[in-house]
Amino acid sequence: MLKRPERFIIKCAQLHNSYIQSLHTTVCLSSQERLQSFRTNEENPLNHNESNTAQFYKLLESDKAKLFVHGGLPKSFETQAKTFNETCLMIRQPALDVINCMKNIDYNKPAVRFVLYGKKGTGKSLAMAHILHYAFKQDFLIVHVPWVGNWMRRCKEQSNSESKEGYIDINLDAAGWLLHFKTQNAHILSKPKLKTSRDHVWSKRETTPKDSPLLELIEHGIARIKYASETVNAICEEIKILSNDGKCRTIVAIDGYNAFFYRITRVFTVKKEPVLPEKVTLTEGFLNLTKFDWKNGVIIVTVDEIAIAEKDQISHLPRYLLGKQGFEHLDPFVPILVSNYTKKEVLSCLDYYKERKWIQPYPGLENEVEFVSASNPYKLMKICASL
Amino acid sequence: MLSYSRSFEKFLFSNVEKSLPFSIAYSTEVKKEVKEEFRVLNLKNVKRQTQPKRAQKQLEALPPRTNKMPVDQDWGSVWPGPRSFHPASVPLPVRQGYVEKGVAPDKYANAELIKIPNFLHLTPPVIKRQCEALKKFCTPWPKALENDKECEKHFPIEVTSSDYCHSAPTIRNPLARIVTIKFKLSSLNLNERAKDKFLRLVGERYNKETDTVAIVTDRCPLKKQNYDYAMYLLTACYHESWNVEPWEELKSEADMEYYDWSKNASKKSVEALFGKQTEDIPNVKEYSEAVSTLMNEGESEYSVTKYGDSVRKLLGLPDAPKT
Amino acid sequence: MATIKTFFSKSGLFKQRICVIKSCIQQNGMSSYPSFYINPIYKKEEQEQLKKEGELSKLTHVPTRAALNDQTCSFTQDPDLNLFTNYCMSDGKKVLARSQVEQTLESIKRLQLEKYHKCKTDEDRAKIELNPKVVFHKAVENCKPILQLTPIKRGGVKYQVPVPITAKRAQFMSMKWLISAGKEKEKPVRFHLQLARELIDASNNSGRVVKKKQDLHKQCEANRAYAHYRWS
Repeated sequence: MLKRPERFIIKCAQLHNSYIQSLHTTVCLSSQERLQSFRTNEENPLNHNESNTAQFYKLLESDKAKLFVHGGLPKSFETQAKTFNETCLMIRQPALDVINCMKNIDYNKPAVRFVLYGKKGTGKSLAMAHILHYAFKQDFLIVHVPWVGNWMRRCKEQSNSESKEGYIDINLDAAGWLLHFKTQNAHILSKPKLKTSRDHVWSKRETTPKDSPLLELIEHGIARIKYASETVNAICEEIKILSNDGKCRTIVAIDGYNAFFYRITRVFTVKKEPVLPEKVTLTEGFLNLTKFDWKNGVIIVTVDEIAIAEKDQISHLPRYLLGKQGFEHLDPFVPILVSNYTKKEVLSCLDYYKERKWIQPYPGLENEVEFVSASNPYKLMKICASL
Repeated sequence: MLSYSRSFEKFLFSNVEKSLPFSIAYSTEVKKEVKEEFRVLNLKNVKRQTQPKRAQKQLEALPPRTNKMPVDQDWGSVWPGPRSFHPASVPLPVRQGYVEKGVAPDKYANAELIKIPNFLHLTPPVIKRQCEALKKFCTPWPKALENDKECEKHFPIEVTSSDYCHSAPTIRNPLARIVTIKFKLSSLNLNERAKDKFLRLVGERYNKETDTVAIVTDRCPLKKQNYDYAMYLLTACYHESWNVEPWEELKSEADMEYYDWSKNASKKSVEALFGKQTEDIPNVKEYSEAVSTLMNEGESEYSVTKYGDSVRKLLGLPDAPKT
Repeated sequence: MATIKTFFSKSGLFKQRICVIKSCIQQNGMSSYPSFYINPIYKKEEQEQLKKEGELSKLTHVPTRAALNDQTCSFTQDPDLNLFTNYCMSDGKKVLARSQVEQTLESIKRLQLEKYHKCKTDEDRAKIELNPKVVFHKAVENCKPILQLTPIKRGGVKYQVPVPITAKRAQFMSMKWLISAGKEKEKPVRFHLQLARELIDASNNSGRVVKKKQDLHKQCEANRAYAHYRWS
């Protein structure tokens, strides 16, 4: 009776050794056959269509350097890109949908608003990145806010506004954004037709006169950080006027837009009282830009649970996240759901990881990983990290 | 050996016990002899020793009535009215209760059976007979009230109260005073505003699913008074709901009980977007319905998708791809 | 067992015999299982193999322990890695320990991939092991000592005597050294990163831990003259 289990223990140990040896096998044949389908050579997002869904395309280093130098891609994605030695984005349904809509929009009509929503880690920001790449290729003027939560929930410094009573400036962040805006639109801003429509008076000695180039305004904001917040608002205003006149075509992309409407911010006054989001100077400019009262523009925002405090992360749906005020501000908007990976996308993602030597294939990998991560892209990435 | 002797003692003892009542029965002659034989030393000069108690005469219970019941008896006369269970009158081998081991206790001395209400007086033949007897006092059912719909139309208010009949020193039951009136809200023919006010006045008394209002009155001591009070309440609420007070005009959006698209910012923004009146905008109806359902029924994946589809139609964008 | 006990205690006649029965049932330390319970076979492949060999039917009625919560049939499950996680753990903070070990594996991959992409030729690339688990197993294997020193008192003097070491002890020493090497670092460096570096170094038969092992072997070699104290 007692002898037999012992024999078993020995047998189990032997099996265990054979299991370790099986780890060394790194070749899986079935994935070799799929290798062609997960990647597309089409690097221009203008040419992406339905047949490219679930395929990866390479974001060229030159484009990335112009678009996403000062933020725009999630941090974890950046580390992945560094490890993989290339930046690849998956072509997914929501981004294609928005791009398709952008192709068909009548730009003489008021600006259309799109709201990307979805659960945590489903890839809203990356869908936004894909759309931005498309807009970049289409020579849109890009007004991109990488993450509103950085302003409302972890701003670098705050000071009382000088021009407006009771408002709070977050000048360092504003200057950072101006730099981001400048690098993203370097090729458009150099065009001579982008000029200011009116005088901007900063102080007794400092003014930006009418018909000076927009670039000058930005340079001023970066140089004189004290006026950065007001410069941002002025630029927002100018962009609206310029696109209304048809001098440029603008895309407004704001990530974590619902932070503009979430009552509890971490911006504080001198007396350490929390400030309402509408009392932050920057809010005004971007809320102004997301109205529909201008032409030649398209507005894409994401609403995200992560942009608000943890205790209120109840639902991922846009009406809840925007609140009554935000919903009325954006209404009518086109909600676009960014959902979890489909089976095809999971396989494609895993194939990509295998091709990048990130995960070691073993039998049953796909099913197991899909099940454990519940097809959530972020969780999938996290789970694959240790495989 | 020891155990044997002990059991023997036991045997003797039990025999003595058994014979004791026997000896009492023949007491009179034997007592005298005993007194003469044993003279008890009465030191303290107590008059008498304690007398043996007189054995109480056990009344023998009569056999249960059920033994004598014929099969074709008239049950209605055996059990004419409501009454708690009596084992000897019910010729049924009923059992009730639970014991840990063994079967459920039978009907004799069974408190469980006595506690529960029974309907032994309401057997079908008895009911039939009573109905027959009552029939001659009834009037024929009005022909106009053939179905429930007609009844509701002619008698919209349903009044409910209870009478109690029981054997107690008082014939009054405090529960008899309670009066409930029920009616359909639609039978009041109120307009939208008045209906809203009426609902706010009656509060929880309104049942949304059946569209009925139920007013229960029990504050007066008599049934008549309560009925009058209920009628008064109904009349007062009805007339008050038609009244328009000056402060009612101040009702703002936050006080609305449901989302009305035509009164909201959504309509204004759509009109501003198109620069037209609502009636002239194509596809606006579907959009307004989608917004209303989104607001009224709460947000869900489905309602948001519907909203998106309607916005796409409104703005003339290509349809969402099917997944 | 409990039912048997209650049965005996109810029928008071057998009171004295219970002690005898108790001594018959073998207790297994602090374990709630008696020692004749066998370990569970939770891997699907192992079960399949047993089924093929026909041994599985013999096991059906053998009392078996319940599987531990880290023993799953997942393909990624690795008993040695679980053991390593447990050695990393302090104060029962298993979640933390597991996340640290997972991050270590991730860091190994990142470091190795960085090297991989730097390589120019395919030959160099083929040399780099990209599977973190293989790196881990190699590292543990390379750091296992063969001998160890035990202090033995002879004539009032303690001699460091080289003694052979069991396989399990060798594995423990190896893992312990690796973990302590991971903890020896500058403050801003993360544990998982340092551990990853140590593991990679050890898998290449270089680095601090391998040196530590070699130092121990040298010490043993130097003290070989005392070896006879082990038995005399």
